[in-house]
Amino acid sequence: MINRRSALTSIATGLGAVIALPAWANGWNKKSLHNYAFLGDHDEEVLSAITDTIIPKTSTPGANELGVPQLIQKIVKDCYDPKSQEALALGLVTTDAVALSEYGNSFINLNKDQRLDVLKKMSVSEYPAQKNFLNMIKRMTIDGYTGSEYFMTNVSKFEFAPNRYYGCVPV
Amino acid sequence: MFPNLNSHPTGITVVSLFKLQFTIDDFTIGNIQFNKHFNTSTLHHFNNHFMKLNIDSIKKRTYDAIVIGSGISGGWSAKELTDRGIKTLMLERGRDVKHIIDYPTTLKQPWEFEHRRQLTYEEKQANPVISKCYAFYEGTTQFFVKDAEHPYVQEKPFDWIRGYQVGGKSLMWARMTQRWSDFDFEGPARDGYAVDWPIRYADIAPWYSHVEKFAGITGNKDGLPMLPDGEFLPAYELNCIEKYFKDALIKSYGDRYVISGRTAHLSQPQEIHLKQGRGKCVNRTICERGCPYGGYFSSNATTIPWALKSGKLTLRPDSVVHSILFDEKKGKAIGVKVIDAHTKEEIEFYAKIIFVNAAALNSNLILLNSKSGRFPNGLGNDSGVLGKYVAFHNYRGRISADYDGHLDSTTEGRKPSSGYIPRFRNVYKQETDFLRGYASGFSANRSLDRSYDGLGEDLKANMLKAKWGIWHVGSGIMGETIPKESNYVALDSEKKDAWGIPQLKISVGYDDNDEKMLQDFFDQFSEMYTKAGFTNIRTNDSKQAAGLDIHEMGGVRMGKDPKTSMLNKNNQLHACPNVFVTDGSCMTSTSTQNPSLTYMAYSARAADFAVSELKKRNL
Repeated sequence: MINRRSALTSIATGLGAVIALPAWANGWNKKSLHNYAFLGDHDEEVLSAITDTIIPKTSTPGANELGVPQLIQKIVKDCYDPKSQEALALGLVTTDAVALSEYGNSFINLNKDQRLDVLKKMSVSEYPAQKNFLNMIKRMTIDGYTGSEYFMTNVSKFEFAPNRYYGCVPV
Repeated sequence: MFPNLNSHPTGITVVSLFKLQFTIDDFTIGNIQFNKHFNTSTLHHFNNHFMKLNIDSIKKRTYDAIVIGSGISGGWSAKELTDRGIKTLMLERGRDVKHIIDYPTTLKQPWEFEHRRQLTYEEKQANPVISKCYAFYEGTTQFFVKDAEHPYVQEKPFDWIRGYQVGGKSLMWARMTQRWSDFDFEGPARDGYAVDWPIRYADIAPWYSHVEKFAGITGNKDGLPMLPDGEFLPAYELNCIEKYFKDALIKSYGDRYVISGRTAHLSQPQEIHLKQGRGKCVNRTICERGCPYGGYFSSNATTIPWALKSGKLTLRPDSVVHSILFDEKKGKAIGVKVIDAHTKEEIEFYAKIIFVNAAALNSNLILLNSKSGRFPNGLGNDSGVLGKYVAFHNYRGRISADYDGHLDSTTEGRKPSSGYIPRFRNVYKQETDFLRGYASGFSANRSLDRSYDGLGEDLKANMLKAKWGIWHVGSGIMGETIPKESNYVALDSEKKDAWGIPQLKISVGYDDNDEKMLQDFFDQFSEMYTKAGFTNIRTNDSKQAAGLDIHEMGGVRMGKDPKTSMLNKNNQLHACPNVFVTDGSCMTSTSTQNPSLTYMAYSARAADFAVSELKKRNL
């Protein structure tokens, strides 16, 4: 597994940023990987901040109110191969690195607009690692959100037992 | 062997029939007193008592009929036998699954699954075979055999999909139920591959009707020669595009049809279904988790509770059948040797007739493992064909396309069925460079598309704007494979399972005929789709191994000649007529229909015949 500090250093250096690593860069270690949630505290916060930015709370619930970051962790931990788990962990570090290089702070300490800006930059980044991670986490956030009880009941109007089938009705 | 002793509160252990271990001075067995000074007269007394116990025990283990297996065909065998007053023992190797109460996921909403219906990485790693099955997901893992628990030997890649529980695979099946016609029965006689079927449509037609009425089959009277009509409940209607394609095919070809697939669902329950305790299908389309309404046919909802209600059926789960017992003097089968799935204790059960319904390949295994002086190569296997001429359905090909017509219409609700295109190749005569033909599904659907562009509030706003997309259509091939001697199953000479039974070695694969047929499917359907104005036509060969179609058949085939077949026209072993085999293993050829309905009909027909023979004292 990757080491958070060296990963962050190399990613940040790759971005051309000259930075002193803050304390939270040490937050992720092997031990925290064995936690039920598999991500360390700091990474969990980054993940939540990302999903909250991708689908924020407005007049309707955002991703975090529907438990999307917890679901993502659960599914990645239980259903994905070790490589994909690493990709998620590395992606969170990458996000922090981009935040650091753009705004000199961890992603979690940025304001709403700054966070959105970081994710937007990643979505059009020339670095595949950034773009791929953003696509992956966006896809997972959308899946978690649209598969939630809230969305299926209120938006897509899922019926558990429709008790009918009509083959041809007007749109 | 001596259940009476097991419950006796004593310090003795029965080691074998007359060998006892004493740990206390005085004790009783039944009404006999023992002490440390016991003598030969006590022993004599003891012997008599044991013999009586043994006779009692044999009586307790004796039935009129034994049915091996509780899936679609076993359920039917048991139902028909008990309907005729026959005291029947049904043996099932797996655990009991009771209708409704043992469907743990049936009421779960999609969002209630911990992993949103996905399998875990661990499950996928541990179960590479079963993980390929379309119906195996977080809601159904409890109903499928896990790879490591029941190993088998793949001489060629073969995905063996199994359900070891009461109800077998009838719990998770795809529920399509099409009749065979004489074009199917006559296939082997016409081209000489496999042997001629000993029956024709007229022999089985009344039994199709019999099982259809009880099971509840939807469909239209389509009047097609290659797919006879049956006793139908109202069909699930074709949707706009399925109808459009139906008309387009008639216009372009004249003899290619799209019909509403006949399906084992209660679209409109009749008296007989209500009597079974079943209700109308409510279109949930999560049938594979078990249906609390009994909306589709399964042994669990239908035949087994019916047979139990008769008071004539004893259902014994956790009973792994080792072999069928053959009595050399009587010249017939006398019972079944069972190994308790948990204790591994050997128990013998006895009956006048035995129905083998263990599912196609396991029925082969049981017969192969039933060796005796008279049948050293497996029960009834004088011909040497047992285990050979196994065939299946080629499911490798899929074609999909788009259609941007009929955009003013859509569907509402859900359909537990699909369109079906009966075989149109080589029906009336051989007309292609490959033998036999293929049927296919056809379905069209249209969904509300959402844009997932943007991030943050932009994304959210886009997501909420749903727009009807264009239609998507698709078909999958269900191709007949030719039964060949080289496609076989056999007992592995070394490897055994956890119950000491030899593992099954499977050597079944595709051949050149299958490849040609698959190409023809792609060519014909591309043309048919093009003529209908469908666009963006994509074909895909999944290259999946044999077995994943879950339509494996044969190995104990029916035929007229005992020299080249195992079973006669009544599904009796030619060489051991009190044994009947009515599951997929009896299939002489596979044709292009989903086969379960035919197994139901064979089981009912053979059970009726067996009882009439019993009454005539012919068995």
